[in-house]
Amino acid sequence: MSLLTSLARLRALDEGIAQPIATVRHCHLADRPMVFIPLKLSGEAAAPLAAMLGADRDRPRLLVVAQPRNRDLRFAWAAELAGVLLPYVEGFLRDTETVERRNADPYERAIDAPQILVPNRAGVAFVRLLGRSMRFRRADGPYPVPESVPLLGRWLTYFAERAAYPGSSLMPAMTEELGRHWASGQSGLEDANLAALLAWITTGPSDDAEDPLIWPPAGPATDPGFDAEVLAPAMESGSAERVTEALRTQLEPSWRLMWQAIDLLAGLEEGAGVASRWEQDRGSFSGMAAHVAEGAPPQPRRDGAVAAAARLARMERAQAAYDAQRAYDDPLVMAEHRLTGEAFAGEVVDTDPGNTEGEGRSRKLRPLVVIKTDDPVRLSPGTSLGTPQRRAQGAELVSAGEGLVTVKITKGMGRGRTAAPGAVPEIGERVCYTSLTDDFQGSPALPDAEATPWTHGGPPREYVPDDEDAQEEWS
Amino acid sequence: MSDRLDDLERRIDELRAGVRTAMRARDGARARVLRAELRGAERAWDALVSGERPVKEEPPRLVTVREQVHQGLRLLGAAAQPRLIVAVSAAFFGGTISSSRLTSLRRDEERSFRSSPFGRPYYLCAALTDRLSPARGLLTLSAWPLERRVVGPLSPRVDFLTCAIAVAEQETGDERADRLLVRMARNIPGAADGTLGPPHRGRVIEAARAELRVHADRDTRDRAELAQRAVAQLDDAARLFGAATLGTIKKEYAT
Amino acid sequence: MNPQHRLDVLRGVTPPRPHDARAIAALAANPGCARRALMDGAGVDKDAAARHLGFPAPFGQSPFAITRGNVFEALVKADGCAELLRMLRELLGLPVAEVAYHDVENVGAHLRHAHTRTLIDRAARDEHDAGTLYDHPLLSLEIAGHTAYLEPDVVAFQLGGRFHIVEIKSFAVIDGQADPSAVAAAARQAAVYVLALRTLLEELGHDPLKVSHDVVLVCPENFANRPVASLVDVRRQLAVLRRQLTRMSALDRLLEGLPDDLTFDLRPDDDGRPTRPVAELADALRRTTARYAPDCLSTCDMCFFCRDEARQEGASDLLGRQVRDELGGVASVAEALGLADGTRDPAAGQEEIARLLRNAERLRKECLT
Repeated sequence: MSLLTSLARLRALDEGIAQPIATVRHCHLADRPMVFIPLKLSGEAAAPLAAMLGADRDRPRLLVVAQPRNRDLRFAWAAELAGVLLPYVEGFLRDTETVERRNADPYERAIDAPQILVPNRAGVAFVRLLGRSMRFRRADGPYPVPESVPLLGRWLTYFAERAAYPGSSLMPAMTEELGRHWASGQSGLEDANLAALLAWITTGPSDDAEDPLIWPPAGPATDPGFDAEVLAPAMESGSAERVTEALRTQLEPSWRLMWQAIDLLAGLEEGAGVASRWEQDRGSFSGMAAHVAEGAPPQPRRDGAVAAAARLARMERAQAAYDAQRAYDDPLVMAEHRLTGEAFAGEVVDTDPGNTEGEGRSRKLRPLVVIKTDDPVRLSPGTSLGTPQRRAQGAELVSAGEGLVTVKITKGMGRGRTAAPGAVPEIGERVCYTSLTDDFQGSPALPDAEATPWTHGGPPREYVPDDEDAQEEWS
Repeated sequence: MSDRLDDLERRIDELRAGVRTAMRARDGARARVLRAELRGAERAWDALVSGERPVKEEPPRLVTVREQVHQGLRLLGAAAQPRLIVAVSAAFFGGTISSSRLTSLRRDEERSFRSSPFGRPYYLCAALTDRLSPARGLLTLSAWPLERRVVGPLSPRVDFLTCAIAVAEQETGDERADRLLVRMARNIPGAADGTLGPPHRGRVIEAARAELRVHADRDTRDRAELAQRAVAQLDDAARLFGAATLGTIKKEYAT
Repeated sequence: MNPQHRLDVLRGVTPPRPHDARAIAALAANPGCARRALMDGAGVDKDAAARHLGFPAPFGQSPFAITRGNVFEALVKADGCAELLRMLRELLGLPVAEVAYHDVENVGAHLRHAHTRTLIDRAARDEHDAGTLYDHPLLSLEIAGHTAYLEPDVVAFQLGGRFHIVEIKSFAVIDGQADPSAVAAAARQAAVYVLALRTLLEELGHDPLKVSHDVVLVCPENFANRPVASLVDVRRQLAVLRRQLTRMSALDRLLEGLPDDLTFDLRPDDDGRPTRPVAELADALRRTTARYAPDCLSTCDMCFFCRDEARQEGASDLLGRQVRDELGGVASVAEALGLADGTRDPAAGQEEIARLLRNAERLRKECLT
């Protein structure tokens, strides 16, 4: 958390209403998102209890396991869930575009991708466990399950893993997404309560939001009081209707909150970088679909050493790119970097558009711009700079001091002897420069999986799920 | 009808909220009253929605719980916990008991014995601890010699191995029997061969016997000593159902 | 007036609430909180106090979770602890001959503690006569002058001549990973048992280090009920716990400056219902200093009361440690906002944070208008 966000939280607390910490929306919002609110049986690792889900806010589907300890009923529930989620996911594979790649074969990318929204981070974790508990199952053999279950398991695993990828919008956790755009006047811990966070954003804090009788928790854990007073007797009665109706009371309020949150996010204008990140999501999704179609095995229980290192490196790059893109897209995010001195903004007070460096053939156009700023600049001369106002442009810091910063433009001002029109900011224009860049930094040199050093376990054996995976009890 | 259902649902919601509020205020009495009302309303709702009161039919029981436990223990041949007896009964005799029904069994047997001693051909009785008190959660048969019904420090392990051998000796194709054997074999060194299928029965027996040999001498000694003490100190009823805890301890401390 | 008497006055007429391991472990969660130290030291029923104040604690345990925990523990201990023996043999190389099992609960409840002492003493004295597994032992620990009785799941001996605490928990280990917060809580709780057992050995004149700082944590593996064991080193938790217990035995310092007749008594009537005016109790509590942090919401019965107090005081603690750290010692919301919009002059030492806050305020204004 930055000081800027901390200040916003203080302000929120003082004014009794959440404060914006973003001026645009940084996540993609699908035209037809799938809202998915799963509940689990308390005390069990991944025993599903119920889920409310659907892409139509007026027609949620409620799936319930009336006896969560009954293995057959759990898998029947999983099959029902697959019956809703798989057609939704696979529906996006019909329309594709061909993407040309340098040094690689062109591939087919889905024009749109599924988006499954869960209430909170614990919801993502539960989806991951559900995926883990389903993907190794088999439709044949000693403990057969419906054929759709292992496939759903692979998809749920994929979505949960993708949720950890910075900037991905395939499976957003709603409280996290809201928290990226608004600062409430409570702690991050309390922000994990969807009802409480939404209250801060819309009407101001309310004690009702923490009363499970008024706002049941948005899962996956249920309210212990509800378990004791309502759910346990309903299960004992053996009446599936009663269990179903009881769980409906716990899910419906969260269902309404989820759509309210979607509306709130939809009210923000989309940030410029969102589309390109969604494009990556579409590519990743298409890759996964191709993987499944080729009959590849389910995701392994654990990554090998090289796969894990590569994954970590990918995530770090994605995080850096996501941070930079959001700053370029959103002055309020850029302000955090201005506060720490990695960026500055101000008014152009002087320019030298015709400035050159070198002599003869190596003579280069290097227009100079002098900016007056109130920001505390902590960049040393020679630092490469970029600017949100002219994204293709590159610049370099020449000098800074006394509230005046001189930069020279090094890239993106045209090839002529004079700068292209509009390439050099005019006197009086407001500009912002930063050392943050969204350059693709190339992947680190990691060996191929086959060349994994022995210190890291040697080359991984190709993962072939065995009978143990398929037969694992699910008690 | 749906009007009435609506009314009932509203009432049920109110009552649930009321119960939970009362619980939170630790007002047990009020929670109880409300909960009773809630149960009534829920039953009415169930009846209305399904058209009639659901009737749970119990499958006909030909063999009594008592007899099923007897069968299970005879097969095992050693003191055992209800869980294991239930599993054996289900695997080999198509038993239908659940462990919760075994909790009051021992008390019933004791009552019956005290009102007419040795009136029945057998009694389901207690295992005796080193204080000659009834061991928690263990059942034995009255027909067994006292040495088999007392538990010294090594006896739980010895009994487990004895039971494992007994289970492995049964010829059956039942899946539940296989699962039971897998569970037991996994806890005996050398009994499981690492594959997932049912373990080789001979191998389980061999492995269990091998471990038994390690414990046998000391356990036999401990048991003989306990059995002697039981004969010397206990009357018939106490030999079968154990001495009251406090009494034995007083005696022990007095000597 | 001696400190113990002062604590009795604080608690009032109700008998002290016994501490269990979970409660003692929670003491270490927020060591800086004087209110909690005093209430726990006096054995005040915090849950009842919070309820009476109108701020009942937000946690509870689901009956499903409780049942699940009991079922799993029974499974691990079934058939003479057959599963536990397998794990100890595999994990710690327990010799096959070591299977002696003692159920301490075979004696009446009131004798369990004495019986545990006898058995542990015998084991420590003569390893050859020692049992391997002690089920349902009952240990004790002095907490600020009161004896707390503690029930570890199992104590195992004959693992390299040392006692090991076995802690059975029903949260799952999936593909070798478990919920870190659950593991941490289990480690804190197990540390309490280690300390209690070490104290017992010391009292009996044995080497307390005969109790290992590695505890055996048993959990279900993956989605099956099959138990799996791992060793958890609780040295750090032990150190924190010791420090906190020392603090609690030095409560006299916290009592200094408090009026002699200060009490948190609920004045229960014959039915046990509290009759003390709520405002009066709240005032009494406010005489002591709390250190509220959002983490309290999952560990302390008093959390909602203290949060409400922090709100009224406009304390920046409400927003969490991160924000508090970011503000570098500016404790109140009004003060921080005053520094930010320049209506307040920085005190000595606040110049840097004031400059940052003013800058932050300027940037937010610029971007949002």
